[in-house]
Amino acid sequence: MESIMYALVGFGLGLFGFYYGFARLQLKRLIETTPTSTVRSIAMGTVEVQGIVAPAKKTLLTSPLSGKPCVYYAYAVEEYRSSGKHSRWVTIRSGSKGTPFFARDKTGSVLVDPQGAKIEIPKDIRYESRLGIDPPKSVQKFLKTERIPFESFFGMNKTMRFTESYIAPEDTLYVLGYAQDNPHVEEGTGQKNEEDIVIGKGGRVFFISDKPEKDILKTLSWNVYLFIYGGAALSLACLAVILIYFGLF
Amino acid sequence: MAIGTGIFIGAIVVLVVIGVLAFFIGVYNTLVRLKNDIKKSFANIDVLLKQRSDELPKLIASVKGYMKHEKSTLAELTKARTDFLKAKTLAQKARADDIISGALKTIFAVAENYPNLKANENFIQLQGRISGIENELADRREFYNDSVNTYNIRIQSIPDVFIARMLRYTSEQLFKAAESDKKDVKVEF
Repeated sequence: MESIMYALVGFGLGLFGFYYGFARLQLKRLIETTPTSTVRSIAMGTVEVQGIVAPAKKTLLTSPLSGKPCVYYAYAVEEYRSSGKHSRWVTIRSGSKGTPFFARDKTGSVLVDPQGAKIEIPKDIRYESRLGIDPPKSVQKFLKTERIPFESFFGMNKTMRFTESYIAPEDTLYVLGYAQDNPHVEEGTGQKNEEDIVIGKGGRVFFISDKPEKDILKTLSWNVYLFIYGGAALSLACLAVILIYFGLF
Repeated sequence: MAIGTGIFIGAIVVLVVIGVLAFFIGVYNTLVRLKNDIKKSFANIDVLLKQRSDELPKLIASVKGYMKHEKSTLAELTKARTDFLKAKTLAQKARADDIISGALKTIFAVAENYPNLKANENFIQLQGRISGIENELADRREFYNDSVNTYNIRIQSIPDVFIARMLRYTSEQLFKAAESDKKDVKVEF
């Protein structure tokens, strides 16, 4: 009975992977066919820019686990749980937050509002706690605020992992988004400034990465092959298992 | 053939058909988008060309009192502006743009020899605005040419070439004056 459940789940995952592979292909095509704009000549609509992050506000965000000043962060707290023969990592808390920032290139700065963006940045921080290893102080502080115990009933450390990624000032970013008039800036002031235009959600894709375009395309190419062919192969293999299970094959 | 084998082969066929269709729909959509992006990026250049063209009479008016010896450049600029306003094709616009850019560079360089002009508030403002437009134009020309280059490469590559032929898409022109046109440009002092 268990094998059929796995096969059904695998079949569904395979089909999803197949679909996701085409979604990645679409993104890859969009990135490789959109020329990079310089900030000073950005036109309204879908734009691709590459620039260095500069804060737009005096106060930056503070990443929850490592306490780094940043303009965006995403974190996850996971716990290793066992039940009978099975054990797995369970996400017990996760979240992300972003604040508008400037992307600066040699021609100027443009405002980027990361809300709603698909942000692909590597994990900057990976901490673990287990028997004999405490989480770092900054993580303990966060866990205390969030009322997440890292010790079990008997005072022993739980096996947990803490991951965090963030975008900090001076990071170099790739941004593919929709440039539009900043609704928060009054028109007709006669003075062109860096807050007149904001890149945000609005077009088909809003994508931010800290990799150079060439590396993004390389990763996407791998994703496309992996998900399209891998997804198709997985769904077919699982279909075969299902058919065998029902005695049809 | 067992029913299971039929289902399995059917699933393979369905996946292959969906895959091929999705791939070609993606190629089709990309080409259509690229074609529209070219139109849009040309429109973005055109807007700036018009803005710059609107500034030229003001510039000419502010410098002609000072630049008595550069009448031919100013005449060239006026003619190029008229040519630009009459231009219908991309090549004609690119040629007029080329001449205007060249003449403007010369005017701003020569302005260094006229201290009174250099100190003129109106001229300083115009120079700032026009130089700003010139810089943006340079970026947008490059952007347009990148878009055209990407498009031209794709419509000649397999498998895009099949869809491009179906859509009767042909190569687009880069935004640059023809070499033969460039030979006619003479800016003298």
